Amino acid sequence: MKLDFSILTVVWPALLNGTLVTIALTLSVLAIATPLGILVALGRGARSSALRSGLAAASWVFRGVPPLLILFFAFFALPVVGVKLPPLPSAIIAMSAYMAFYFGEVFRSGLLSVPAGQWRAAEALGLSPVHTLLRIVLPQTLPAALPPYISHATEVLKGTALAAAVAVPELTSAAKQVFVVTYRPFEILIAAAAIYAVLDSALLLLQWRGERWAARRRAVRPR
Amino acid sequence: MNVALLAEYGPALLEGFVTTLLLSAIVLAIATPVGALLALMRESGQPILAAAATVYVSVFRLVPALLVLFFTFYAMPQFGIRFSPMGAAVLGLSIIGSAYLSEDIRGGLSAIDAGQYRAAKALGLGWGHTMRRIILPQAIPIILPPYITRAIIIVKSTSLASIVAVADLTGQAVRAASITYQPFPFLITAGLLYLAISGLLAVFQAWAEHRVSHERRVALRTRQAGAT
Repeated sequence: MKLDFSILTVVWPALLNGTLVTIALTLSVLAIATPLGILVALGRGARSSALRSGLAAASWVFRGVPPLLILFFAFFALPVVGVKLPPLPSAIIAMSAYMAFYFGEVFRSGLLSVPAGQWRAAEALGLSPVHTLLRIVLPQTLPAALPPYISHATEVLKGTALAAAVAVPELTSAAKQVFVVTYRPFEILIAAAAIYAVLDSALLLLQWRGERWAARRRAVRPR
Repeated sequence: MNVALLAEYGPALLEGFVTTLLLSAIVLAIATPVGALLALMRESGQPILAAAATVYVSVFRLVPALLVLFFTFYAMPQFGIRFSPMGAAVLGLSIIGSAYLSEDIRGGLSAIDAGQYRAAKALGLGWGHTMRRIILPQAIPIILPPYITRAIIIVKSTSLASIVAVADLTGQAVRAASITYQPFPFLITAGLLYLAISGLLAVFQAWAEHRVSHERRVALRTRQAGAT
């Protein structure tokens, strides 16, 4: 069968809509999972051993089970307990839930890189814990955590394709919807792959710039 | 209350579990040598081989795994190549898995000091001989921990096969959940079975790391004893 990319002039509005949903889904998950990830990281260093071990167990479960299964869980199980949500919010909840624990690992190793003496020094200076976190600890954590954070962000972007399985009209599912009617899966999937590659490359460009920024930050920090 | 349901769908879940194990084993058996080959191509110093491997690895790390499964399952028939769902899943997951594995393997290879290549060359060893006897024995202990981490990711990624009609663990659990309207028993059982696989692999990883560091200590001690 000959390839005919002119089909794209017909189906592009559907792919564009799918791309917008993919971007919205990625940004929503990042906006929810990032602060949750910081909380998970802080909780795993907390004084309460029940909180520490509870979070460690939850982290092991959420990172040990396939993300797709967690999406199905939100899609099928939430309505049974009375939480009836449209596909998009339920996908956002499921993806944020497991990404919070992946990000938790990223931020935990970042937080561990800040010496504990700084918390005590800030306490001695009369700073509140929240103030210490926001002004002293997190700014030092960022350079170390940024590169792994962005590589996880690209996983979020690629992971949004899973939402196709629970009826979210994102890019992969939009592509499928148009190729089952046009019988041109190859051309349409190539176009979708190119869109993912562009979005991913934008994030990787951010990572490259972030790494240079982090290297500068580390270089100028007095020893 | 759910015991009767689990008993009814237990055999299907077990079948799905076996399919997941089989799929994971086949994908790892294909993706490991292909990934190693890609890593060696990138380290070979041959510009064309290195560029081809770089393009392959970059492209397949940029696109979602599910999209690649859609290619093998839906787009290949356009060229007259028709796979069974299992065949399409094996092919798609191996393509993606080998791209990521090659990066893990390459990391281990580049951890070996470049002087070792030059020393082997100065001794008149060929490239294959250098790899087999000098580089790989040192690189494998370094590669093993990230390799097993990647193997766990690959096992989890086999759940994507359920979207292209493979009756794996996820597929069977979702089927049972949607027939009975009882998602909890089936999805939780499936989750526990996945945790069992990744837990076992993590235990193996800890054991292997311990063994490798032990062997290194023994080798070091023998060398020191020989020197005195």
